[in-house]
Order: sequence, then structure tokens, then C-alpha cells
Amino acid sequence: MRVRTRGARATAARAAVLLGGAALVASLAATAASFPYRVLQRVPVDGAAPVSAVGFSPGGKRVYAAVGDELRSYDTASGRAEPAVKLPGTGVGLAAAAPDGPLYVVTRSPARLLLLTPHPLRLRTSVALHGGEPSGLLFDRQSNSLFVESRAAGSIARLDPRTGKMLAIAHLHGRLAQMASNGRGALYVADTTADELTVLATGGMTRTGAIPLTGCSAPDGLAMDQVGRRLFVACANGQALVVDEDMGFTFVRLSIERAAHLRLAFALKPLGPDGWKGGAFMAGDGPGLDAIRMNAFISYVGGGSLPLGGRCTALAVSAAARRLVLAVAPRDSGAGSGQAATAGTAAVHTAAGVELIILGGVGSGVAR
Amino acid sequence: VISSRLRLRAAAAFLLWTAVLAFPAAHAGLARWSALRGETVLFVTGGAHSPEPNDDSLVSKHLRQLGFIVRTVDAAAPESVADGASAIVLSSTAEAHALGAKYADSPVPIFTWNTYDYPNLGLTGPVLHRDFEVIDPTQHYPDSFSVLYAYGANLTSQISRAVGLRPQLFGTLYLEPQTAGWGRPGPGGTVIADFKGLRSHAAVFTYERDASLANGHTAPARRVAFYLGSDDFHLLTAAYGPAARDPNMRRWAIGLKLFDTALRWAVSPPPPLPHYDPAALEAAARRAAHGRKVLFVERVNAGEGRRADEHIVAHLRGLGFTVTIADQSDPETRARGQDLVMISGTCSKWKLANRYADVRVPLISLEGLMSDTLHFSGYDRYVDYGEHGEERESDDPPENYLDIVGAWSPMAAGLKPGLVKFERTPGVLKWARPLPDATVIAILPNEPREAAIFGYPKGSRMAGGFIAPARRALLPLDNPTFDDLTPQGKALFDAVVLWTVGG
Repeated sequence: MRVRTRGARATAARAAVLLGGAALVASLAATAASFPYRVLQRVPVDGAAPVSAVGFSPGGKRVYAAVGDELRSYDTASGRAEPAVKLPGTGVGLAAAAPDGPLYVVTRSPARLLLLTPHPLRLRTSVALHGGEPSGLLFDRQSNSLFVESRAAGSIARLDPRTGKMLAIAHLHGRLAQMASNGRGALYVADTTADELTVLATGGMTRTGAIPLTGCSAPDGLAMDQVGRRLFVACANGQALVVDEDMGFTFVRLSIERAAHLRLAFALKPLGPDGWKGGAFMAGDGPGLDAIRMNAFISYVGGGSLPLGGRCTALAVSAAARRLVLAVAPRDSGAGSGQAATAGTAAVHTAAGVELIILGGVGSGVAR
Repeated sequence: VISSRLRLRAAAAFLLWTAVLAFPAAHAGLARWSALRGETVLFVTGGAHSPEPNDDSLVSKHLRQLGFIVRTVDAAAPESVADGASAIVLSSTAEAHALGAKYADSPVPIFTWNTYDYPNLGLTGPVLHRDFEVIDPTQHYPDSFSVLYAYGANLTSQISRAVGLRPQLFGTLYLEPQTAGWGRPGPGGTVIADFKGLRSHAAVFTYERDASLANGHTAPARRVAFYLGSDDFHLLTAAYGPAARDPNMRRWAIGLKLFDTALRWAVSPPPPLPHYDPAALEAAARRAAHGRKVLFVERVNAGEGRRADEHIVAHLRGLGFTVTIADQSDPETRARGQDLVMISGTCSKWKLANRYADVRVPLISLEGLMSDTLHFSGYDRYVDYGEHGEERESDDPPENYLDIVGAWSPMAAGLKPGLVKFERTPGVLKWARPLPDATVIAILPNEPREAAIFGYPKGSRMAGGFIAPARRALLPLDNPTFDDLTPQGKALFDAVVLWTVGG
């Protein structure tokens, strides 16, 4: 993983904003040489709202995106838009369940949990949410558990994934960020006030402790490898941590781009059976998309980074699809519309408007 | 005036002995962290020549977080830079040959993980692979997994107690093959933890101030050797979150706690050093004897040694102990209600059998050949225990000197480190190889593995995993030896009795 000086970062950011064209693409491609993905599709997202959540269908054939008060669906391979569904409020989180299960979306204003049939997209159930304006959603397939986070209320609720009924709720202190579940009864929540991971027992949503993240400031991004029992944390101060879940012990510390509002996604075999053993990907308001490569459950190295011309508002990775999807918005505006840039480049630069960027393994075919 | 001065001096000596004996275990108490805040630590690294990657900056930061003021210098800095420091911390990034013996005589405590520098400091012998070794994943790949685990060798030192060390494995470093060092300390050292259960492969070991080092010198201040490599400080184990509530995980992931505690011990003030003052010692012994009962186990009507036994009993009674005599064949129940059991060298090992091995009363054995039955050592006669000077049972000639290696301990009677004439004439002297939990006071000259006087604190791990229910001590007095003791030998006798009866 590249480690940049403050000056270098500023230079890169200015270059991304001010420069364009083939010459820049070439230079950025060189710096991103070790990054495992390249851009396959760049899909412009019409409208004024940024993409607040993205996700893959369980088989990876579709990409879903919550855009304002719409849930949009795209064919992963071609990037072609499919019929969208109108939401009762602004979508703030989505998650796909098992292949034959529903798609979950949470909205704010009003606060609701929506259960949809994934293909074709169709609203099936809408349930009012209590416990504060939602800000995030997590579905854990392993334990068939659904969690809704409310940063405004400082709460996390566990819901019945069939009915949406609230089963238990935890009221926490601090500013909450991403959640991750181990599938065995523990839920981890990044607390960017205390710079730690709050640990909840999902049965009663009771707090069982906190894992300190020494040297990490504002741990926004969090994901879990349920097999290796590793927690991946992305910190705003340019640190990415790998934590042994069983001990709460941080044993890997890597440098990443400094960025606020980081999101993090992890997948085992994200490039297919012959690629990386595992990969964690993180991006936010900073200049790039960073990767951590898992060589073994005990061995991690920087996986390269990819410069971004805009800020990342959501990302997801699918081992089934061998794809990474990234929602990018211009840095200087809350949202916008734009047009697709050139596909097939290694770098993602100069996002003129909101777009979804679908990345695949370096050996993948480039859809044009 | 002279008389009152003498009385004052005697009172001062008595008070010192009382203070010395107040420390029940091998080490004095640990200073509070708050008391160490603001103390200066000299951190010696390789500076610009350090291998990369290394964790020196993390260590430095950690030391500051502990409250120390950290002064970092490189290996080439003169010894005088340690002036005024409370501890010298030697990183393995410093070139051992550049360090040399620079800090060997420093009166400042040293905490080191520079394994190659151990011989320079006298912490181990000089022979690589025999006396010390650095295991690393390149040269010793399989062993670099084994150093992820260490064994709690000592349960009773202040470090061990503070960490909650148990006679079981714990995780040293986090889960990848790592670099770590081990050393084989001299008999004056205390092994806190070892690799593979081998006391000769000590992962963490210490020397108390004035303890004898492996090179025969004495430690001018406390010394701690720690297993760390240059770049694995960040992998010292610790448990957080829900794992920290699991007592098993808490006892497993103690690497960082052990580091902190060992450093804290190094910087803490050592116990007061006892002074050789037989009169004060006898006064302390008289005070301790008051109201206490001793069971003296002997071969009643023994031939050789009978008079010596009578004189030992008379001496104990003279100190004020109430002494009851038991025959070697009497049932062990004779020990009930006693404050001390003393087993005479006139006893037959065969006839005494396993009696008194498990009694919950402090015990002194004057017979080294019972070391196996009493859990003092392993079972291999002439390897784990043996004797010098016994015709046809020993290749070694008679001996009458001991080498004091634990001068800091009250059991050493305030005698200086080095050779002391124990008996007037050379005779039979028994020895044993105790486990790391024992405090070794004296060895046979030129036999660093053959301990003549040692003591196990209560709760310590003895041979075969036996946990000492009360203090245990070996004092080698063959049948007639007591009558041949020098004044120093008698002082050692009193000091051992005094220490043992205290717990």
C-alpha cells in the first residue's frame, strides 16, 4: 500500500481535480499497478442525490443502489440499468439476503424497513421503524439477523428478518459508524468518538465490551471476515487495522490514504478461486480506494490503491461476481449528474457527476 | 556513651534484618506506576543503523505512555549518557558489538531484549546456541513457531505474581512466526518464563541487585532479559474487549503485561541488602523462635552424626524454639501443629520414604539426597541431585566452601557474593538442581548447576508440578557437619531457619 506524504497527497488531489486526459490516466495507472481491480463499467447516475448505499445480489448478477428515494438495479456484467422502485423515503441502507430471500432497504423520512423481491424489484412489505432515524443496515446471512443502526439516536436494533419486527435494541454512546457481525452472536460497531469497536451480544443486544483501536482515529469503516475471524477497520487518520476477533488484538497496521467517512467491504476470494485469499477495500472522502490483501489469515499486506476523482459514498464487493462496485460523487457537491468516463482504465479519475463504478479483476474483460 | 552506641547499632542491625525478612518472596515489592511517572529511561537503539522494520518508535511511545521520560541514544553513545536515568532499555536494534560491555557495570537497572548483548552484560555465558540464541523465521523457521509460546516457570517472583503467571503455556507474540531470543542465566538468575519448558531456554529472566551473574560478577543493579525481537513489540499479546473477560484468554495473552511488569520491576527499588552481622541475625532468630515449635526428624540413636543432631537441637532450643524429636520411622502426623520440620542428615532416605514431602508446614532438609522425594528436584540421582566428597558415591573431592550467588536474599545471611568457607574441613556436601521458582543462595564452587542452599517460597512450583504448601529449603549438613561449621556456616544455618520458619 502506498504511503504518501501530506504534500504528495495534496498534489494527487489537485491533479485529480485539475488535470484530465490520457496523460494523467497513464501516470495514475502506473501508481495503481498493484491494485487488483480495473474499471469495467462506469455508470452515470442521474439525479441530484448521491448514492447512499450499494449492494450485490447474492449471486452477484445485479447491483442495487439506493439513490435518493429510489432503489435502482443494474446488470453487473453490462452496467445496464433495470427498472427502479420508488421508495417512501430516502434510502440509507440496503442488504441482500439469501438467493431466494428478500432485499432489505431502510429509509429515513419516514423511517421504514422495506422488504423487496429482488428480481424484478418489487416492494413486498413496509414496516415502520422505531428507535430513531436509521442510518445503516446490516444483514448477516450466517445468523439470519438483521440490524438497523441509527446514528441520530445512537441505537442499533435487531429486527426479525421475516417480519421486520424489532426484537431487541441497544442504546449506545458515541458516534456510530459501520457495523459487522461475526455470525455467532456478536455485533461490532465502530465508535468514532471513543475510537473503539463496541461489542454487542446480539441475543439481547447487550454491550459486552469494547475493543480499543490504539493509534486509530475516527474508525468509520468496518467489515468482518467471519471465517478467519478478522475485523478490518479503516481509520480517518490513515490507518487500516486488522483485528483478531477472538482476542480483540490489533496485529496488523497498514497505512492508507487519510480520509473521512470511510466505508469498508471485505470478501474472501474477491477475484475468484485463483486470486487473492481475501481482500478488504476501503474508500471515503479521500483521494483513493485502498486495498488490503490477505495472504493468509495471519498475513496481510497493502493491496495497492486506486486514485479517485470524487468521493466515495458507498461500496460493496462480491466474491460471486468477482466485482467491486463503488459509488462516486463529485467532491465539491452533495450530488450531481454526469457522464461516463472512459472504461478500461486502471484509475478512476475526474468524476464529473455521480456514478457507479464497477471494477473487476485485472484479467477480466472490459465492457465498453 | 559507647554502650548506648553499641545498643543503637545492634538495634539498627536488628531492624534491618527484620526489614530484610519482611520480604516473603524472591523479590521486593513493585513500585506503583504513579511513583515511576517522570522517571527517565535511557532507550538505546541502533539509531540510523537499525534494521528495518523495527518497533523502536512504538516502544518509545509506549514508554512515554507509561509515564517515563524517554531519552533515546544510539549504541555508540558513551556510557555516561545513562547518568541520572532510572533504567537503561536496550533494544535489539543496537549492534551488540558496538554496545560491548559498556553498560555491564552500570548501577542503573537494565531491561534488555538485545540477546546478542546478553554475554556482554554477564547475563549468560558467551557461547551462541548453548548460552543464548536468537530464533528467527529465516534461520529457524520451525522454532520461530515454538517461540510464540512460553511456559510460566516461576510463580512467586513479584513479576510472576503481578502478572498472575501460572505453570502453563501462554502466548508470547501474536501468531506469526517471529523472532525471539532466549538465554541461559547463571545460578543467581531467576527464570520467569521459558521456551519449551526448558529452564536453559529462558524467555524472561532477571537478576536481583547483588545477585551473581553468569560471568561470576555481581549485578550492580537489577537486570531483566526479555524475549522480544526488533520488530515484534506490536505483537506482544494482550486481550481486549469480551476476550479480556475470559480468564483463560486473560492468562494466555500476557506478553505486553509481562513486558510492562518486568520493566516496572527493573525500575522499582530493590530490597535492602542484608549485612553480615551474626549477632543481629541471632537476635532476629530468637525473636522468630519465640513460641514456635520445631519437629526435628532424625535417626534416633544414630551412630555417626548423633552428637551433631544433639547440637542442632540444642542450638534450636537455645534460640527459643520448642523442639520435638521424631524418629525417621515415626508417622508423618508428628508434623501436626509444628511450625517447622527439619530433616536431619542422619535420616535414611530409604526409611524416611516419602514422609513430610507434602506437609503443609515449612520444611528444611539437611540431606540433599532426599531432593527427589521432597520435590526439590528431578528424580535422576547424580544428575538432578548428588553429593561431593562421598567415597564411592561421587567423583568429586570433599569440599568445604560454598559460592554465594544470592547475596541479596536474607537466606544468605548478609554474606558477600563469592566463596565462603562453610565448614572448617572439607567433607561431604550435597547439592540439587532446583526448579526456577527456587531462590538459589549458594552453589558448589565451579559447579553453577549444583545448588547447595536454596529455598522454595510458599506457592512455588516444585518438581513434578508440586506446589509448595509452605516454604522449603535445602541446607546441606551431612551427619557430623553442624559441629564443623564456620561462623559463616552457622550464620547461614540461622538465616535459612529464620527464612523458612517465616512461611
